[in-house]
Amino acid sequence: MIEIRELIFEYPGHRALAGITLDIIKGSITALVGPNGAGKTTLLRCMAALETPYAGQVAIDGLDTRASPRAIHAGLGYLPDFFGLYDALSVRRCLLYAARAHGIAAAAAPGAAESAAAKVGLADRMEQAAGALSRGLRQRLAIAQTIVHQPKVLLLDEPAAGLDPQARRDLSNLLLSLRDSGMTLVVSSHILAELEDYCDRMVIVDHGRIAGGESIALKSGARLRIRLASPRADLKDFLEGQGVDILESGPDSAVVSLAADANTRANLLAELVRCGFAVADFTEDQRALEDLYFAQTGGRS
Amino acid sequence: MNPELQRNLWLEASPSRLLLIAGLLMLVFAAASVAPRGLATPSGAALALYWFFAVLWGTRSAAQSVVVEIRERTWDSQKLSSITPWEMVWGKLLGATAANWFGALLCLPVVLVHAARNAGPASAFTYGVILLSLGIFAQSVALLSSLVLIRRNTGNWRLDIFLCQVAGLGAAFTYYSLWSSVSAFERSGTSSIDWWGHAFNLSSFHLVSLLLFLAWALTGCWRAMRAELRFANGPYVWLAYLLYSAVYCAGFQSWIGHRVNMPASASPLGAKLALAGLSLLAATYSMAFLEPKDPVRFRWLGEQVRAGRVHKAFLALDCWMLSYAATLMVGVVLAFVWAASGQSALIVIAVLGFLTRDVAIFVLMQGRAGGKGDFAALGILGALYLLMPTLLAGLHLQALNFLVVPMGLPGAIAAWAEGAACAYLAFSSIKR
Repeated sequence: MIEIRELIFEYPGHRALAGITLDIIKGSITALVGPNGAGKTTLLRCMAALETPYAGQVAIDGLDTRASPRAIHAGLGYLPDFFGLYDALSVRRCLLYAARAHGIAAAAAPGAAESAAAKVGLADRMEQAAGALSRGLRQRLAIAQTIVHQPKVLLLDEPAAGLDPQARRDLSNLLLSLRDSGMTLVVSSHILAELEDYCDRMVIVDHGRIAGGESIALKSGARLRIRLASPRADLKDFLEGQGVDILESGPDSAVVSLAADANTRANLLAELVRCGFAVADFTEDQRALEDLYFAQTGGRS
Repeated sequence: MNPELQRNLWLEASPSRLLLIAGLLMLVFAAASVAPRGLATPSGAALALYWFFAVLWGTRSAAQSVVVEIRERTWDSQKLSSITPWEMVWGKLLGATAANWFGALLCLPVVLVHAARNAGPASAFTYGVILLSLGIFAQSVALLSSLVLIRRNTGNWRLDIFLCQVAGLGAAFTYYSLWSSVSAFERSGTSSIDWWGHAFNLSSFHLVSLLLFLAWALTGCWRAMRAELRFANGPYVWLAYLLYSAVYCAGFQSWIGHRVNMPASASPLGAKLALAGLSLLAATYSMAFLEPKDPVRFRWLGEQVRAGRVHKAFLALDCWMLSYAATLMVGVVLAFVWAASGQSALIVIAVLGFLTRDVAIFVLMQGRAGGKGDFAALGILGALYLLMPTLLAGLHLQALNFLVVPMGLPGAIAAWAEGAACAYLAFSSIKR
């Protein structure tokens, strides 16, 4: 869906992107991670055809950003890290304007605005002024504005910044539903743990390059950490016998990747107990992305 | 309705705001109508208020229409919209100034009724067209300036808005002064103007000129908005403007020739070229100051030329580059035309050398100091053209004036030596 080839972008005295090549699959959620100043925002802006690269190429759905920027804008939604809203307008008017500005006919605009508001859970606040919304609700309104025209590609720069845990969970669910509706999403974030909830692939940007050279597929399903009260040398053999994907193992602990459904987990735990393993811990490991990240960046963060 | 206009109307023309403006105006007109004779009249108050609404406040609203979007971080979403550049221009131009025009259009009938009583309906109609065009012209210039200034990304919004407002006010006052001078000329028995050898009615000529410059200002807004919305502009519209500006100015040669004692050596062709050259010189300095001079972009242009993609590089040239090249060409032709007189040709060559130096200073200073570099460059040019001659005179070193003033053979050599040195430094700064 998004093809990036040897992308170079320069600011005066500073090369922000130093030859990035990347493919982003249609209908996926890709996380862009990396330290501050790594080039994530510049990369997103180049994808959004808001910046013209010094060299290289970005194509979205077959359209080159340099040759057809307006055609790309028509099929794309982009939410910058620091976004603004028309505070004096009501939620309804903000969304009506966004719909009309994205080329939706006057007759269809109210329906598009209602639909976008419903997707982000703002349907009951249509007459409230944008300036009176909380941080989380403003974020939702901003996302609703970017999806009101049902773009094929959605680029979100730090969408979870400043949100409370409930709002972050709502955001995760929203992004998953957008992906399931066929949208391709690229999300830049610093919060690695929650990216794991909804991302299919991760791209680590560091010093204007992709660490490791390509995007990394994230395991579907849960990552479980098993810890034993009494070490057993045959733990690894036992787990291999159960057909689970072993990520780390030792005599007293292991990390495995497992299908996310509850039955599979319950069966594995039951087998461990039945075979006499003294299971002290059987918990989901939240550090999967962090481990990958630090492995690629050499522990710098 | 144009969505940009609709949004601006929601924000700027709320019923309470319009009612407030209408109420205040009614009070002012009522007060002016009962004021002692000689103190104020409704038509005088209406004219002053028209200027306030359409020009003074209108230029500010127009300048803010884009700058505030950037400050409030809504500009990116506008750039990603499907609104066309022309829709965006008139949506902002009329929408952001909706309250201003509401007030101005309440004042205008009062002014025109008075004008019709005094000078007849035809004059009142012309006056109405002039006032309306003047308001739109001033606001267009303010919007155009803001669209050019935002590319420099200075981050100093207040200064940017102020500068754009000053540009709009300057355009309005300049033109109104010229319009007002018509009556002075008519009092002195001159009712026509000689342009390219043809006599035109003075007031009609002024009106048509204003409308044409308004058309160019709107074209400029459209073109600058295209660039913001990521359309490729190409050089042809700016080249057409340069040609128009040069031809327009050169046309005054015969009119000036009748009023000013020209030197015997000044042939009509030379005088026309000089006037055209002056207009191009003004365009070069204006755009060299206003446009961003991004070293990364210069390097990209250089790479295109080195790779043989000359046409691609030509299509991407900045306005100041085109203006500079056009000034050089006209200047060289003028120097040949004036070659017989010697001194005049050398002055032209020196002017071109100083122009090269000054443009290089703009490029050099922006490369070193970013957005503030243009103001630093203005400071340097101010020192070179104003302080240095004064200093040299104070030190009784007038013999060295050729270093800073275009004069004679030493002046031409010094100007080009300075131009070459500054150009070398500018190129070096780009390569880094």
